Amino acid sequence: MAIVNTNKTPDRAAPISETSMLGWLRRNMFSSVFNTLLTLSMAYIIYLSVKGILVWGLFDATFVADNRRECYDNSLTGACWAGVIDWLDNIFYGRYPRDEIWRINAGGLLLVLWMLPMWLPRVRGKVLIGATVVVFYPFLAGYMFSGGEMGLFIQIMASGAIASFVIIVANALVGLTKDVGLDTFVLEALGKTKAPDKTQRNLLIVLAVALFVVANLWVSTWALEGVSWTKWGGLFLTLVISGIGIASSLPGGILLALGRRSELPVVRVLSTGFIEVFRSVPLITVLFMATTMFPLFMPEGFVLNKLTQVIIAVILFNACYMAEIVRAGLQAIPKGQFEGAHTIGLGYWGTMGLIVMPQALKHMIPNIVGNLIGLLKDTTLVSIIGLFDLLGMLRSISKDVPWLGLHKEPLIFGAFLFFIICFSMSKYSRHLEVKLSAGEKH
Amino acid sequence: MNFCSKFTSVATLAFVATTGATVVAAETTLEIVKERGNVRCQVGPPSPGYYNLDSEGNWYGLDVAVCQAVAAAVFGSKDALEIQSVSSQARFTALANGESDLLSRTATWTMTRDTQLGIDFLSPNFYDGQGFTVRVDSGITSAMELGGAKVCVTTGTTTELNLTDFSRSNDLGISNVTFEDYNVRDDTYLNGGCDAVTGDKSSMAGNIASFPVPGDHMILPETLSKEPLAAAVRHGDSQWRDVVQWSIFALVNAEELGITKANVDDMRSTSKNPNVLRMLGAEGNLHEGLGLDKDWAYNIIKNVGNYGEIYEAYMGGGEQGIGIERAGSLNALWTDGGLMYSPPMR
Repeated sequence: MAIVNTNKTPDRAAPISETSMLGWLRRNMFSSVFNTLLTLSMAYIIYLSVKGILVWGLFDATFVADNRRECYDNSLTGACWAGVIDWLDNIFYGRYPRDEIWRINAGGLLLVLWMLPMWLPRVRGKVLIGATVVVFYPFLAGYMFSGGEMGLFIQIMASGAIASFVIIVANALVGLTKDVGLDTFVLEALGKTKAPDKTQRNLLIVLAVALFVVANLWVSTWALEGVSWTKWGGLFLTLVISGIGIASSLPGGILLALGRRSELPVVRVLSTGFIEVFRSVPLITVLFMATTMFPLFMPEGFVLNKLTQVIIAVILFNACYMAEIVRAGLQAIPKGQFEGAHTIGLGYWGTMGLIVMPQALKHMIPNIVGNLIGLLKDTTLVSIIGLFDLLGMLRSISKDVPWLGLHKEPLIFGAFLFFIICFSMSKYSRHLEVKLSAGEKH
Repeated sequence: MNFCSKFTSVATLAFVATTGATVVAAETTLEIVKERGNVRCQVGPPSPGYYNLDSEGNWYGLDVAVCQAVAAAVFGSKDALEIQSVSSQARFTALANGESDLLSRTATWTMTRDTQLGIDFLSPNFYDGQGFTVRVDSGITSAMELGGAKVCVTTGTTTELNLTDFSRSNDLGISNVTFEDYNVRDDTYLNGGCDAVTGDKSSMAGNIASFPVPGDHMILPETLSKEPLAAAVRHGDSQWRDVVQWSIFALVNAEELGITKANVDDMRSTSKNPNVLRMLGAEGNLHEGLGLDKDWAYNIIKNVGNYGEIYEAYMGGGEQGIGIERAGSLNALWTDGGLMYSPPMR
């Protein structure tokens, strides 16, 4: 005689008010008269603005025209994208000779292919990938972009770049298909897996040297037309300046931060002074100093091109900000970590490189990426000192006679480009955080 | 203290010694330019009519043509040229520190600049002046009728100062609406944010041409200021100054003599006018004083054309021109009542 029903009541579907779209709308949008009014008026505003944007930017817009007058003839109320389309080469590559643009594309593609294996699963030797990119790629890219006479040093570095690129790509392919490293694969193919370690190593070295020689023979036949840096511009220039800035300001910042926390008084005072001076001055001042004042201090005939000056200024400026971010990260590491490292016999660089930095850097990722995004956007300031970076090019469209006064469309396009780049950087940093599980606490 | 003063004097001596050494070693600008193989000519951020980039990335414009003329005079080719775009804050510094060989960029020739900045202006290649643009349907036909009007103006230039002076001296009570960027200034005017726009008449003519309905707007006859726009070189190098000055004169003189890009070869071989023959190097030795080739003026005209052709191409009705009427303006030849005048080349 049970009064309690021991049988489980069958599951019922959730009430329609909880699951359906209508239920959600009712709960969140129309729960009271006031909310209903609010929802309706907001919907109307959104409708108006979206409609306005679409009509201006799409339905009434002109995409094909030879000049702005033709855009007007087509529609007085729509955007004139034809000007932006006409200027696309300028926007992306600046004044780079049109026949040589493939060099920029090839250089960019090379970098992507080179770096891509770092993010692929099952690929071995990721440290090597990073190291070769940093050591060799700048020289190869530098030659591809500027061309002209190739010195012996550049020839060697470019050959090294080609050889390591081939190795990296082969390694990635072997890793993806066979799930082994390139070295293992080659040794297996040659049937030398059983040979002593020393023979194996020597064999690999010989192969690498042979590859280098072949690459060198090929590179020595290159004769790319010289392109002056004054012809660099557009998105390409923006990426060159910010790319070098990003790649150099982080290591620079780490060194400065370590210097500022150093126990050696001279190093500490110098680092602190350097950081404080550069941080207390606006970037535009640093840029002006670098480009107009610097040549006055130098002996006559000493010429450092403006682009180099600008890049150095950007690196120094951002290294200081980076240093403070790194210092904040270092301070978050408990003292026990340092002491622990000491007790297992690590010296200064061992402690920093193996114990402290890896932990600290994880915590700094959001700040570092925030700073790098800032750096990318700050590079637009170089248009003020006469370099035609992305923004400089976009602003020039409104001065070109066929497109006179066309200034909104280019800026909107520029905003769109910057958004894509910055948003992907931000997304990537989130991904890194999750991967390194630094984001657990949010 | 003693140490300090000693140190200072030693440093001063060292400084004098090094600068003295550089003065001895310094070459003339012409030598430096020839050695380098191109002319570094400074323009500004793109400005319609004077210096612009086209969609292929090439520079064009009136002031660019002056750069090209100098390059052609020295090297025989207008492409032996590096155009430097420098912001207006740094323009005179960049000329003074040797970064640029000459400056050819809508710089107004004023006494202060000429006498205090270590630079020399050459004869103007464009005479501009500040004026007002109004809507035709406003019924305003003279700047004196602008009493109490809101006038859009770009900030930080003499334009703003001239406007204020004009308003004060004529007791008009004009209120300034200032902008950093002239595109925004024009948008505001077009959307009714102000009754008139003020700026240099040449650039306003270009801007009006880019308005949706150009016929709805007009430039008032009054001119508020004198803006003789001229190229400039570093003070103290007379030879280089001569080279640039006579390259500019050659453009004007060629127009006066009827030499054009198209007929320059014919003129040199068939003309009977001794002025033409002397200028184009078929006779005489005009080139010797400049330190250039016999063909210097021929190369200028062959490469860039005469002043009239350049004006038509970039300021007048050419495809890349901003459509400013030349006849009757100060920029007409002196024979047509303008101010474009070259001393005789003999």
